[in-house]
Amino acid sequence: MSEVKPKRRFGVKRWIILALVALGIYAAFIGPSILKPISPEVSLAAENTGLHIGSLQITNTMVATLLADVILILMGVGVYRFIRSGKLVPTGFYNMFEAIFEFMWNAVEGSGGKWARRIFPIPATIFLLIFVANMVKLVPGFETIGRIEQSVSGNGYAPVKLFQVGGLEVYTIDKGQPVTLTSTSGEGTPAETTTAEEEAMCTSCVVVGFLRGSATDLNFTFALAITTVILTQVYGTWSLGPGYFSKYFPIKRLIVGGIFGLIDFVVGILEIVLEFAKILSFGFRLFGNIFAGALLLSIIGVLVAVVVPAGLYLFELFFGVIQAYVFFLLATVFISGATAGHHGEEQH
Amino acid sequence: MNDPVAFVHALKLLGAGLAMLGAIGAGIGVGLAASGGVQAMGRNPDAAGIIQTNMILGMAFAEAVAIYALAVALIIIFVG
Repeated sequence: MSEVKPKRRFGVKRWIILALVALGIYAAFIGPSILKPISPEVSLAAENTGLHIGSLQITNTMVATLLADVILILMGVGVYRFIRSGKLVPTGFYNMFEAIFEFMWNAVEGSGGKWARRIFPIPATIFLLIFVANMVKLVPGFETIGRIEQSVSGNGYAPVKLFQVGGLEVYTIDKGQPVTLTSTSGEGTPAETTTAEEEAMCTSCVVVGFLRGSATDLNFTFALAITTVILTQVYGTWSLGPGYFSKYFPIKRLIVGGIFGLIDFVVGILEIVLEFAKILSFGFRLFGNIFAGALLLSIIGVLVAVVVPAGLYLFELFFGVIQAYVFFLLATVFISGATAGHHGEEQH
Repeated sequence: MNDPVAFVHALKLLGAGLAMLGAIGAGIGVGLAASGGVQAMGRNPDAAGIIQTNMILGMAFAEAVAIYALAVALIIIFVG
């Protein structure tokens, strides 16, 4: 939020920002109660959207991941068409894409060496997917537009009808009308629903978003983590042949090495444990950061409704990039470490 | 103490708070890594790229502990 400095030119953008701040203050403190921020109903697991394929329930994180995939594919098609057009100097969006690619390539080449070309697609895909998913998550309305459902914990708010577009009735929930059993809780901002029958049953309501950040679902992060660790083994075997597994089972050393061979054998077992620890730390790091960030945003939004959430939004933007980068970097280091041989725990 | 449900809920919150004590060590670790990294970059600006990569790597490992604590705290509060 920019402050008024007397020396500088008082431009139009500054007025827009001040007007937005004023609007925020109006909505949070003065205006009607449907505009006020409501503390969220948090659930660790992803919520169902109500759709299903066969017996598989489609959760809102799945939809969000598909959205990120579609954006990635569109980006990919765009870049492909740009390359086919034969222009050598990228402009605008493609310039940014080239910068990202150069950055990733330098990191992979630095640790992968001559294997960089073969390793590159895996961490690059992971980076782009997490990056796009984290950025898409921050678009306003992403987690707040959804179906109204009966609150599980019994703490919710009464629904208020906003307007009707054709057969689609749009509701929001009202902070001024808490329907609670124990304490005040619920979820805020406009909510759409398609069926009026469902609505009639809901008295104490919370909003279940159609979309929810992909990385706030443990399934997403653990899928990436398990893929990475398995690919580490694949690349190790590709590079070193069956000899790669002597890292885990040093049979030869056990036979000829005497007491040190025995120690090596135990170390090998520890290496196996370490691989599983990698999965855990990969998965929980991304999940913890992004989930805690989303939680922080919604809770701060209730406590300090104006100005502060904007700063935290910036913080979340930064953390989305950093977490994508950390995941990418660790994947690169692990995979190139596996291709480099037995002593390849460090980055060479 | 008269309301067992509220008592268990309070203990849950207390436990989640205690779980986050794990963040102390991670905070110290990340701070040390940043301090060392910045000093190294100040002494040898040419090697800033490599130092930065390794610094972030070390920070990620140190931070993982805090993230475990956070995951435990979140699970204590929101699950079961």
